[in-house]
Amino acid sequence: MYKFKPTLLHLLAGVAIVLGSAACSQKAALTVELKSEEDLSGLTLSTSAGNYYDTKYSGREDIRLFRVNTEADGIQAVRQGLADVHVTDEVVFSKSARERLGIKMAFRGEESFDVAFAVRKGNQALLEEMNRFIEASKADGSLDSLISHWLNGTPAPAMPSTGEASPQEPLRGITAINMEPICFLGEGGEWRGMDADLLRRFAIWSGRSFEMSFMDLGSGIIALNTGQCDVVNACLYITEERQKSVDFTIPYYLCRGGYFVLDKGASSGMGLWDRLKMNFVTEGRWKLIVNGLLETLKITLFSILLGTLLGMGVCAMLRSRRRWVSKAANLYGAFIQGIPTLVLLLIMFYVVFANAGMGGSLVAIITFALCFAWSSGSIFDSAISSVPVGQTEAGLSLGFTPLRTFTGIVFPQALTKGLPLFTGECVALLKSTSIVGYIAIMDLTRASDLIRSRTFDAFVPLLIVTVAYFVLAWLLRLLLNLLLLKK
Amino acid sequence: MISIRHLSKTFTNPDGGTISPLKDVNCDIEKGEVISIIGPSGTGKSTLLRAINMLEPPTAGQIIVDGKDVTAGQYPLDKLRMKMGMVFQSFNLFEHKTVLENVIYAPMELLKRSRKEAEEEALELLGKVGMAQKADVYPSSLSGGQKQRVAIARSLAMHPEVILFDEPTSALDPTMVGEVLSVIRRLAKEGMTMLIVTHEMRFARDVSTRIFFMNEGIIYEDGTPEQIFEHPARSATKAFVNRIQKLVYEIDSNAFDFLQIHTGINRFCFKYNFPEKSALAYDIVKEMLFEHLKDLRPLTLRFTHAELSGVTALDFMAEGLTESPLPGGSALDGIRAKVKGIVEEPTSRGFRIKVLL
Repeated sequence: MYKFKPTLLHLLAGVAIVLGSAACSQKAALTVELKSEEDLSGLTLSTSAGNYYDTKYSGREDIRLFRVNTEADGIQAVRQGLADVHVTDEVVFSKSARERLGIKMAFRGEESFDVAFAVRKGNQALLEEMNRFIEASKADGSLDSLISHWLNGTPAPAMPSTGEASPQEPLRGITAINMEPICFLGEGGEWRGMDADLLRRFAIWSGRSFEMSFMDLGSGIIALNTGQCDVVNACLYITEERQKSVDFTIPYYLCRGGYFVLDKGASSGMGLWDRLKMNFVTEGRWKLIVNGLLETLKITLFSILLGTLLGMGVCAMLRSRRRWVSKAANLYGAFIQGIPTLVLLLIMFYVVFANAGMGGSLVAIITFALCFAWSSGSIFDSAISSVPVGQTEAGLSLGFTPLRTFTGIVFPQALTKGLPLFTGECVALLKSTSIVGYIAIMDLTRASDLIRSRTFDAFVPLLIVTVAYFVLAWLLRLLLNLLLLKK
Repeated sequence: MISIRHLSKTFTNPDGGTISPLKDVNCDIEKGEVISIIGPSGTGKSTLLRAINMLEPPTAGQIIVDGKDVTAGQYPLDKLRMKMGMVFQSFNLFEHKTVLENVIYAPMELLKRSRKEAEEEALELLGKVGMAQKADVYPSSLSGGQKQRVAIARSLAMHPEVILFDEPTSALDPTMVGEVLSVIRRLAKEGMTMLIVTHEMRFARDVSTRIFFMNEGIIYEDGTPEQIFEHPARSATKAFVNRIQKLVYEIDSNAFDFLQIHTGINRFCFKYNFPEKSALAYDIVKEMLFEHLKDLRPLTLRFTHAELSGVTALDFMAEGLTESPLPGGSALDGIRAKVKGIVEEPTSRGFRIKVLL
């Protein structure tokens, strides 16, 4: 039987293909000079799905909208010619980021908006507490100097004194933006920027500890409403529509939109080595990759362990002589197979275990184990079925008990037949864990997302995780064959 | 040693219907007996065998082994089965183990023999069935006859008090039946107690001390080989033991498949244990079809064999004819010299030339 053994040569070939395709992806830039919103007619506009500009322009027939998940994706779309203009808040791209990315702001939006934090509807206590803090910060001028610090580089105001109240629950924030200078993951994995700073100051002021994770806005709002977090920040404009689903604090900042286009005058970018350095070395970003890798490995291995145990149960149920038991197992299979794993994961996180106070990792492990239970269980079942019944009869007729007939005669033969399928299923599980970022787990894929949204480089972080997954899958195969194929 | 009382077995089909291969079986089996179980297919021969070692638990009745009822429920079935070896139609060798490992596995695990002890004995047993030189190969590289001989050695390694043979030669190519039957013959001579479900009439007559003729879910007639085969008391027994095996080819045009007929004749001769006649039968068929009767179509060729009497005949039926297609009768003199006789006669269907081999 032919077995695929990945070698360094295969790996290099894969890298070469990715490099080649990336090199061909640059497209022609916009030729017209944009001056105001009237010039947008006939163009493709990229913007974050569900934000104010999405709503504003979705009714316009002369403008094609290209909805993206993060600002980084939007800039990438503009750079690749998939969109002509990317619209977002003017403060999102710092001067240095604009230069590095080769983009410029064509014009500012005409309207201005109040920006505020979102809290869960009905969480009156937190809302009032935050409002008191913002009022106080406005009154003593610390808010202005904080904003000026992040936007213009002036010295930061002094930290507030530690809270009035006794120790409380931690303040759990979700940011839908990972972007200098609003809110970004800085050196050592610490969240920095205007929003993060303000929230941290509030936490100190109110005697809480502070933690923050990264999600797209849609998921963040769900997390907020199901109690997985307390506050969402994303340079959120206060709109009537949004006020139906969340409560806003009093505004802390007045923001205008920015329309970003490709800057033809800018240099054509950095060399591959500098890009690697920027994505991997600067601010210790390799730590994100390593931690993400460990998280992915943890979820995969525990899911395989738990899922295999459950899979044995599923297999026993499938083979039960009682009709309704095997029917129940098949029903379970139809259920698991009929729902996308991502949807199941979201249901488990936001509905089933919403109030259980479990970490996201544990929920992910349970979810993947449930899926793996079916796939491994049905593999065990078909592997056992593939051993002829005559083998069992021969074992019994020699005087072996049914249990020893199974362990000594049927199981070893089933193992040889089922192992390649089982290994394949384990690798598939490893790959499918890449969706856990949706519930704010910092796995390998999410780590690359974060780096991507900081450096606006789509290619290198993806290359790094591609290689990482490839190597992980290879090691997993090796490990399983080593564990299970020995005599 | 084994007493069976009012044993019955009823299977329920998934559609709710029932089928009862065993209705009311009663018998006593003593040590040293070699009992062949014969009878038409579907009369419960294999089911009876599988019920005796409880692979197929009976619906009702008792099986008393060494004074204890094994159907009672508390009886340890693994201990029962260690006393009874079983040889299957489909061999059921352990495919993941070598020939030697197949034989030593149960003695080492169940009788707690050391590997050395078990291997020594296994090699001796394999030698007995002529398989010692294949000790280290895997079953997948063996022929059917070789597999069955290993299976017999595997069963002997547990020193059973009785061996149950469930159609041991039915899945074999006709050329391999002989090697397996001779191993069983040898065991019979050594005084092994055996129950053999078989379709080999001559073998059954030669090797057995007793014959069970099973029909309609009961032991229809029970007696010595002489009683059953020479003087059967009941008409169904008589019809069964005197039954004639046949092979029929209808030849409509000259575009018939002679190779198929050749292979068919060959297999038929081996299957019913008269391979010595195969070359002669082939020569006669060839001469008749291509020379004497080459213009006679349609023609029906029947090859018949009465298992017990050993009478073998080739029938050439010239459809629709009332007179001999070979007038004068001298045409067949060459054949007549080689065979026991030729009968030429008109029948209601056509003119028949019967060659007795």
